[in-house]
Amino acid sequence: MNFLQTLTLPFKSYKFLLYQLTQKEIKARYKQSFVGYAWIIVNPLAQLLVYTFVFSMVFRTVSVDVPYPLFVFSVLIPWTFFQTSIQASTNSLVSNSSLLKKVAFPREVIPYATVLSKVVDLIFSYVVFFIFLVIYGVPFHLSSLFFVLIFLIQFILTISISLISAAANLFYRDVQYLVGLILMLWMYLTPVVYPLAMVPEKYISLYKLNPMVGLVEGYRAIFFGYDLPIQDLGWSLGSSCILFLLAYAFFKKVEPIFADIV
Amino acid sequence: MSKQALKFSNVSKEFAFQEDRTIKDIIPSLFSGKGWARKHLVFSNMNFEINQGETVGIVGKNGAGKSTLLKLIAGVTKPSTGEVAVTGRVAPVIELTAGFHHELTGLENIYLNAAILGLHKAEVEERLDAIIEFSELSEFINVPVKKYSTGMFMRLGFSIAIQMDAPIILLDEVLAVGDADFQEKCLVYLEGIKKAKDKTIIFVSHDEESVSRFCDRALLIHDKKLLTDDTPRKIFKQYNAL
Repeated sequence: MNFLQTLTLPFKSYKFLLYQLTQKEIKARYKQSFVGYAWIIVNPLAQLLVYTFVFSMVFRTVSVDVPYPLFVFSVLIPWTFFQTSIQASTNSLVSNSSLLKKVAFPREVIPYATVLSKVVDLIFSYVVFFIFLVIYGVPFHLSSLFFVLIFLIQFILTISISLISAAANLFYRDVQYLVGLILMLWMYLTPVVYPLAMVPEKYISLYKLNPMVGLVEGYRAIFFGYDLPIQDLGWSLGSSCILFLLAYAFFKKVEPIFADIV
Repeated sequence: MSKQALKFSNVSKEFAFQEDRTIKDIIPSLFSGKGWARKHLVFSNMNFEINQGETVGIVGKNGAGKSTLLKLIAGVTKPSTGEVAVTGRVAPVIELTAGFHHELTGLENIYLNAAILGLHKAEVEERLDAIIEFSELSEFINVPVKKYSTGMFMRLGFSIAIQMDAPIILLDEVLAVGDADFQEKCLVYLEGIKKAKDKTIIFVSHDEESVSRFCDRALLIHDKKLLTDDTPRKIFKQYNAL
């Protein structure tokens, strides 16, 4: 099989499996808890409340030209998607270890399904976000429709990191704790709770190596009608694609021994 | 007429046996030159062929490598050296319920598990009635499987696996399924498959009686190699003397 065939196999021959596993993740989450999907919204809202309190009431140094809660919420949603997807994927192979030992199928289907299932959370959260926009009287910008394009780049980035962390966690369980730590630091190195303009000029080129910077700025641009940061988004796209190829190669290289080490 | 279903040529399997699971453990062992894992030989130089329509028992003591053999056939692990050639889809009836999710209903689990075993949507729908009927669980099919008894759980898993219509069926000690009646039903069903001669069944068991009743042939694995390939009677004579 050539590279392209291997790459697209999960979406062709294993389409139904991918669909079923994604559905399982979503249903299981919904059924296990009493209030079900409410948790998906409650979590970012609680964070939003704390960030608003800390950064716009305690520090009062953060100035943005849209209401601060909206400023944070617009990108806290994709950030939460990024974080929860990677965290869940990291454990996805380990928690499906009984399957790894029994049935042969392309293993990347498992982290793919995990990440896909989180898209549902993202959609629910954005519904709440648009209600917020209406409440605050912020006009809807047609550029919001570019969301899908920016999200696609973020999806590639998320999948890449998920593939690496899921495989690595099979070898060493420390990885899941490391991933939690890295994600927490990563959020503060991304302009989620503060604007990019507050980053000191001399660090900015280093700061922008983080592919999430362009994405986060991109989301804000389309929702609030700023100019799209084309250059930064280009870097996000390029680096995400390269990272994906590396992650995919790594995953496929170690995949044959998954059943031996779980 | 007898087409080859699977063939092991010079197969040996070595595990990288990981002793250190955390960074705390791994760093000292890297410095001491121990490497990241220890090699453990399961078996070497396995050579055998199984033809389509045969029912073959795999016999061996605990840890002899029976499960590894099934994993090699199922394709979830690769041989260290040699080659495993398998013709057609394999339906592993090993720990039948590995793919079940406890919160989902019996019906949802049928779809999920069948997808895991490699079926498409239309293929599952085609088999749905047969699966539910065989499991005798139609009353409870919309109940989350966490409410099922162990017997019901196993019955559903078994029913899905045998309706896969895969040319190669792997059975790992699974005839301890459900109550005596259901066990008998399974055996009768498997004997039907056996008589039809178009499917290959690989059967791992310690139970002399069921292997002898069911298999035409058996393989004895002992001391990291394939010791004998003979009729079940002779195999068990040798096995009991080990």
